[in-house]
Amino acid sequence: MVRAHNLTKQYAGRTAVDAISFEILRGEVVGFLGPNGAGKTTTIRMLTGFLAPTSGGATVAGFDIFRQSRQARARIGYMPENVPLYDDMRVKEYLKFRARLHGMWGRRMRVRVGEVMELCGLTGVRKKMIRGLSKGYRQRVGLADSLVHDPELLILDEPTNGLDPNQIRGARELIRNLAESHTIILSTHLLSEVEKTCSRVLILDEGRIRAKGSPVELVKRHRAAGRLSVETKGPETEVSELLLTVPGVKKIVGATMDGDWTHLELLADSERDVRECVATALYERGWPIRELIRHQASLEDAFVELTLEQEPGE
Amino acid sequence: MIRFFVILAKELRSYFASPIAYIVLAFVMVLGGISFRFAMSILENEPQDASLVTLTFGSHWFWMSYFPIFPLLTMRLFSEEKKMGTLETLLTAPVRTSSVVLAKYVASFLFYAVLWLPSILNFLIFQTITDGAAALPPGQLWGSYVIILLTGAFHLSIGCLASALTSNQIVAAVMAFVTCLVHFLLGWFVIERGNNVPPELVDTVRYFSSVDHFKRFSAGLIDTRPFVYYLTAGGFFLFLTYQVIEFRRWRS
Repeated sequence: MVRAHNLTKQYAGRTAVDAISFEILRGEVVGFLGPNGAGKTTTIRMLTGFLAPTSGGATVAGFDIFRQSRQARARIGYMPENVPLYDDMRVKEYLKFRARLHGMWGRRMRVRVGEVMELCGLTGVRKKMIRGLSKGYRQRVGLADSLVHDPELLILDEPTNGLDPNQIRGARELIRNLAESHTIILSTHLLSEVEKTCSRVLILDEGRIRAKGSPVELVKRHRAAGRLSVETKGPETEVSELLLTVPGVKKIVGATMDGDWTHLELLADSERDVRECVATALYERGWPIRELIRHQASLEDAFVELTLEQEPGE
Repeated sequence: MIRFFVILAKELRSYFASPIAYIVLAFVMVLGGISFRFAMSILENEPQDASLVTLTFGSHWFWMSYFPIFPLLTMRLFSEEKKMGTLETLLTAPVRTSSVVLAKYVASFLFYAVLWLPSILNFLIFQTITDGAAALPPGQLWGSYVIILLTGAFHLSIGCLASALTSNQIVAAVMAFVTCLVHFLLGWFVIERGNNVPPELVDTVRYFSSVDHFKRFSAGLIDTRPFVYYLTAGGFFLFLTYQVIEFRRWRS
């Protein structure tokens, strides 16, 4: 569906996107994940033909984004960041305009506009001026706009930016429904977003792809997967020594004292659960346990690790 | 081509739905009436060689209504879209940039043409009231409107370029206004107010001076040279506008 090869965009003295290559298959929901300024929007703008790449190229549905830009654009439904809309138009009027821009006419156009308004829950506000719509409704109009010509590829740049939690849930629901019949590129800096909706993730940072894979894979590959917290009543050094003998425990990454209690952060093999062995070992020495937690590693840990410079010694 | 008409229809709709367009319309009507009254009062006082038409379009009241039109009609064309970000949705739809530029320009031109419709009424009413006694040669009348449309076509294209250059409507308006005014004043100073101006310079300036073109056309002398001049110059500025919009994709 999308194939990018060494896609590069340089702004004066700064490389926003640095020779990235990736491939997106039909039917995938791919998340572009990265901190602000990582090059997500620039990549998307190149795919939609709004910016020309400095070097490299990409194809969308087999059409070159530069040489066959209009054919490629006809197959993309794009919702830019912050959802720009014409404030002086009414919702239905705007969607009709957009449908006509995509070459739809007459009954087919009217039926389709009705469908997308229904799908995005806009039927109630169809006669309202866009100027007077809330952020949530604007987002829905933007989504309806990007769907109106029934595109093969849907590109959503920060689709839940500025929505309240309920609206975010609604938007996510909608995206998940769309995922059944569309290829979707979703750009976001919200990790929960990606974990809940995407089948694959590209982590971008400083214009480069830092990692790609499914959310589960990325988490698994990440070391934080085997992090354990233990609190026990025993001298720190002895507890540490004991726990390092437990099979599966790799190292102690942190220790704090709270009165008689020792709090330890362990790093263990992420493939197996070492909690039972830890508990048994401590019990045999007669040290009571106040806490024993195996942390749920999240994409957030993977993300932070990949995009932040690592602290020395860790 | 279909997309051109889709954008044209949308642009025309935004003109007729925006308050600023009606303010411009009212402004042009009021000053049109004043310049008409001004021409009548000249004819009242003493016999003139010039006709009512020539005097109307030669009056400074007419020029006062003429120049503010361009910045006001064109300032929002591209700068508003840039500011709102809608240029991104517009240009990522499968449309040609040239269709966008041309549709916006043609929309402004059509609205501009509509602005002058009420002023024709002045002449028609005058003719009816005076029972056809006043001399209103059709050549002068049509010549005047032809030159209004021609110079307008040119000045609107300057406005388009100014609007494409910035995302600030005020800046676009000022650029368009100053450029159109300088173009006008160059001719006006050299031809009308120039002392000791070498005749060769006056002849040169006559080629591009709107003052002179207005004078001839409103006297019924329809010349083909201004047609070529205004249409090619307008086309050139539209070409520049297109390049400015396209350049945005390449900016680094």
